[in-house]
Amino acid sequence: MPVTKTPDGLSEEITPGHPLIHLLQIKTRIFLADFRGFIRKLKHHPSALIGALLIILFLVVAFFAPAVAPHDPFVGELSERLIAPSWLEGGVSQYILGTDQQGRDLLSRIIYGARISLWVGFISVTISVLIGTLLGAAAGYFRGKLDLFLSRTADLLLAFPFLIFAVAVMSFLGPGLINLILALTFKGWVEFFRLVRGEMLSEKTKEYVEAAKANGQSNLRIILSEVLPNIIHTIIVLGTLRMGFFIIMEASLSFLGLGIQPPDPAWGSMVNEGRQFMLNAWWLSTFPGAAILVLVLSINLFGEGLRDILDPRLKIE
Amino acid sequence: MKSIKILERLLAAIPIMIGVAILVFLFVRLTPGDPVDLMMGSAGSVSQQEIQALQEEFDLDKPLHVQLYIFLKDVVRGDLGDSFTQREPVTDIIGRALPATIELAFGAAFFAVLFAIPIGVYSAVKQNSITDRLSMAFSFLGISMPAFWFGIILIIVFGVKLGWLPISGRLDYGFNFPSVTGLYLIDTVLARDWPALKNAVLHLILPSIALGMQLLAVLARVTRSSMLEVLRQDYVTLARAKGLREFIVIVKHALRNALIPTITVLGIQIGVLLGGNMIIETVFAWPGLGRLAVDSIFSRDFPLIQGVVMIYAFTYVIANLVVDVLYTYINPKITL
Amino acid sequence: MLEIKNLAMAFETERGLVRAVNKVDLSVAEGEVMGIVGESGCGKSVTLLNILGLVPHPGKVLSGEIMFQGEDLLKKSKKEMRDIRGKDIAMIFQDPMTTLNPVFRIGEQIRESMRIHGLFKDVKGGFFKSARKHAEKDRAVELMEEVGIPSPETRYHNFPHEFSGGMQQRALIAIGLSCKPKLLLADEPTTALDVTIQAQILALMQKINQEHGAGIILVTHDLGVAAEFCHKIAVMYAGRIVEQGRTEQVMDNPHHPYTQGLLRSIPKMSSKKDRIEPIPGGVPDLAELKEECAFYPRCAKAHDKCLSQEVPMFDAGEGHTVRCYLYG
Repeated sequence: MPVTKTPDGLSEEITPGHPLIHLLQIKTRIFLADFRGFIRKLKHHPSALIGALLIILFLVVAFFAPAVAPHDPFVGELSERLIAPSWLEGGVSQYILGTDQQGRDLLSRIIYGARISLWVGFISVTISVLIGTLLGAAAGYFRGKLDLFLSRTADLLLAFPFLIFAVAVMSFLGPGLINLILALTFKGWVEFFRLVRGEMLSEKTKEYVEAAKANGQSNLRIILSEVLPNIIHTIIVLGTLRMGFFIIMEASLSFLGLGIQPPDPAWGSMVNEGRQFMLNAWWLSTFPGAAILVLVLSINLFGEGLRDILDPRLKIE
Repeated sequence: MKSIKILERLLAAIPIMIGVAILVFLFVRLTPGDPVDLMMGSAGSVSQQEIQALQEEFDLDKPLHVQLYIFLKDVVRGDLGDSFTQREPVTDIIGRALPATIELAFGAAFFAVLFAIPIGVYSAVKQNSITDRLSMAFSFLGISMPAFWFGIILIIVFGVKLGWLPISGRLDYGFNFPSVTGLYLIDTVLARDWPALKNAVLHLILPSIALGMQLLAVLARVTRSSMLEVLRQDYVTLARAKGLREFIVIVKHALRNALIPTITVLGIQIGVLLGGNMIIETVFAWPGLGRLAVDSIFSRDFPLIQGVVMIYAFTYVIANLVVDVLYTYINPKITL
Repeated sequence: MLEIKNLAMAFETERGLVRAVNKVDLSVAEGEVMGIVGESGCGKSVTLLNILGLVPHPGKVLSGEIMFQGEDLLKKSKKEMRDIRGKDIAMIFQDPMTTLNPVFRIGEQIRESMRIHGLFKDVKGGFFKSARKHAEKDRAVELMEEVGIPSPETRYHNFPHEFSGGMQQRALIAIGLSCKPKLLLADEPTTALDVTIQAQILALMQKINQEHGAGIILVTHDLGVAAEFCHKIAVMYAGRIVEQGRTEQVMDNPHHPYTQGLLRSIPKMSSKKDRIEPIPGGVPDLAELKEECAFYPRCAKAHDKCLSQEVPMFDAGEGHTVRCYLYG
C-alpha cells in the first residue's frame, strides 16, 4: 500500500476508496465537459482550426500510408532515377514529385516519412510529459533531498543546448528509432519538470492551502484538486508546442545521419540524401523539408491556438 | 558591488561545469564497446602489447573513479586529452575550429538582432497593419522551419540558381593573410587585405542567414509583444506629455523597457544558436566546431566528442551568464 | 487662460462610438485651481489627455475647441503641440509607480523635459555640453528639494523603484514643474497614495499654485479633496458636465441631483447622525448613451421631460450652472 509522507510528518494512505481518487474522477468529468466547450472555441479560432485540420490530414495520410502512397517507398527502378516533378520538363505524371537517386517515388517516401515524424514526436513528448510531471510533482511536494537531486540534475541538463545533448546521446547510443526517442526524452522531461515543480511550490504557499491545512485537510489533496487542473492546460499547450520542436530535432538528427537511417524514409535523412543532387535535382531536398515545415507549422499553429483558448496567461514565449 | 555579484555568479557556474564534465565522462565510459577496440577499428590484427600501450596511454587500465579523477584534473588544467584519430591534443583541434564557429555565431546573431528589433518595434507600433500581419506570419514560418532545410533552400536559390553568393567554406582559395585571431573578418582587416575581407564577408552571408533566421523570428515576436505591453504603460504617456518626439518616445522610453524580455529570450535562444551551428556548419561545409563534432562522431573519436560537447556546454553556460549580466544593466530592478 | 468650448470626443470601438467626452465647456483663469469631480469612467481623465492632444487610439475629437492663451490647441501641428507639452502645460498622473520610467534614473527623468524644451540652451561651454548639463542638474536638485524629496543630491541618482510611492509622486511633480508650466493637469494625483501622503501632496500642489501662480486642473473622484483645494468645481457624469460653479456654490448649495447624491455619500466626521447614502445604481455604459439625461435611471427627482431631449445647461445665478430641468 503506497504511503505518502507530507513534509510536516503526516502520512496518508491512498486506497481505491480514497477521496483523492474520487476527486480525480470528478475532475476527469469536468475536463470532458470542458472539452466540448473547447471544440466550440476552436471553431472561432481560424489559425488553430487550420492547424488542427492539417494535423488530422497528416495523421490520416500517415495511418493509411500503404493505401495513400502511389508507389512502394523502398523499391525503385534505377532506370527511372532522378525524374523531375510531373509539372516540370522531364516530369512524368506517374511520379508527381519526381523520383530519387534510386528511382523511388518521392511522394510515397514523404508519405511514409510522416509516420516516423509523427510517431517520434508523439511518443517522445508523451514520455517527457509523464516523467516530467511525475518527478516535478514529487519534487515540488516532498521537497528535501529528492527535490535537491532532481533539480540539480535538471540544472545540469539545462547546461547543454538541446541538439548538442541529443547528438551526444545518439553518438553513444547509436542510430535507431528507440535510441532517438531516448535521446529526445533524456532532456525533454526537464521543461515539464520545472513547470510542474514551480507550480506546485507556488500553490503550496497560497493562503487557501494554509487555510485548508488548518482545517485538517491534507495538502496533497488540495494540491491535486487545485494545482493539477490548473496546470493540465499549460502542460497540454507546452506539450503541443514541444512536439513541433521534437519533430524538428528528430529531423535534424536524421539529417546529420545520427537518427533514422536510410533506407527508412525519415524526412531529415531524405533532405540529407538529396543534398548531393542539389545541382540537378533540387526537389529531392526541397519537398521532404517542406513536409517538415508544414507539419511543424500546423502543430505550432494549433499549439498557439490552444494557448489562446486554454491558457491565456501563458503569453510569454 | 556589481562586479562582486558577477564574480559570485561565475563561481556558481563552476559546479555546473564540473557536473557537465562528469556527465560527459560517464557518457563516454558507459558506452558499450571497448574504446581501444574502437580506436583500432578495423585495423586488423593488433598485438597484446599494442593494446596495453594504448590502454596505458589513455589511462584505460585504471579503475573508473581514478579515471574520472584524472580526467577532471586534466580538464581543470585545460587538458582535454588527445584525439584518437588525429593524435594531437583535443584543445589544439578545438582551438583551430573555434574562431570559425564564433564568426558564424556572431554573424547569425548580428543578422537576427539587426532585423528582429526593428521588425518587432514596427509591428507593435503599427499593430494589425498589413506589415504587422505579414511580418508575424513570416516569423511564424521562421519558427517552424528546420534550419538545415532553409540552408539548403538558400544554397539552391542564391548559390545554384542565381549564383550570387558562395555556398561553402569560409574563403575561396588563393587568399593569403597572417592568422592572428582566426577570425577572418578581423584578420583581413589587420592585414588590410580588402579583397579577402570581401570574400570572407560574402561567404558568411548565407550561413549567417540560415543560422540566424529562427532567432530572428523568435526575437521579432518577443519584441513585438513586449513592445505592445510597454506602449500601454503610463510612463510612455508621460514621455509624450513631456513633449518628446514620437520616435524618441518609442526608441528611448518604450524600447529600453521592451528589450528586457527580449534579452531574456535571447539567453534562452543561445542554445538554439549553438545547436543549429552544428547543422548549418554541416550544410555549408563551414570548418568550425559543429563540423568537428559531427566528424568526430562518425570517426568515433571519443576524446574529441567529449571535448567538443564540453566546450559547447561551457560556452552555453558562459553565454547565459553574459546575458544575465547584460540583463542587470538594462533592468535596474535586478541586482543579480 | 484655458477655455474648452463644446468639446466632444469618442472612441471608435467594435460596439460603436463610445462618447467619453460630450459637449464639455470649461475655463481656467491664470492661477486658478479647477476641480473636475466624477466617478471613474465619467470622462474626466480623458478630458485632460485631450488638452494635451494625447488621446489614445482609437479616440477621436468630434467637435469643439480648446483655446489656450488665445490659440486653439486642436488646430496646432504635431510639432507645435510638442513644444507646448511639458513646457506650458504639464501633467501629473494617477499612479506614480507606473508613471516613472523604471529604467532611467530619477534625475535623468527630471532633466529630460528641461533638455527637450531647451531651458538652458544658452548655457554654453564644457565638453559634451557639460555646462548645460550642470545647469540642468542644479535645477533638478533644486526642484527635488522644493517638492520635498530629502537629500536630493543622492536621490538624484536613484532609480524609481528605490523611491516610495509618495516620493515618486513628488518626483513626478518635479518633472511637471521643471519647465515652469502655466497650467498643471493633475489626474487623481493622490488616489494611489496613503492618506497621510495624500494630504502632503495636496499641500505641495497648493504651495505650487500660490508660489508659481500656475493654474491647475485637478481631476478627482473625491469631492472632499476638491472642496478643500479648488477655486472652482465641475461635476462630470457620463462624459458631460452636469454642474459647474465656484467651490462654495457647488458645495454649499448643490443643485444637480447627482452632485447632491455625491455629497451625501461622503462620510462626515462632524455629525454622527448622518448616514452615508450611496447613490443607487451604477455608471451607465457610454456606448449606449443617448441624448437624454444620463443620470435619469438613478435620479430620485426624474420626470418624463428628462427623457424627451438633451438637457441644456441652466444658469442658477452668479456663474453657477447646472444641467437639470429642475432649474430650467
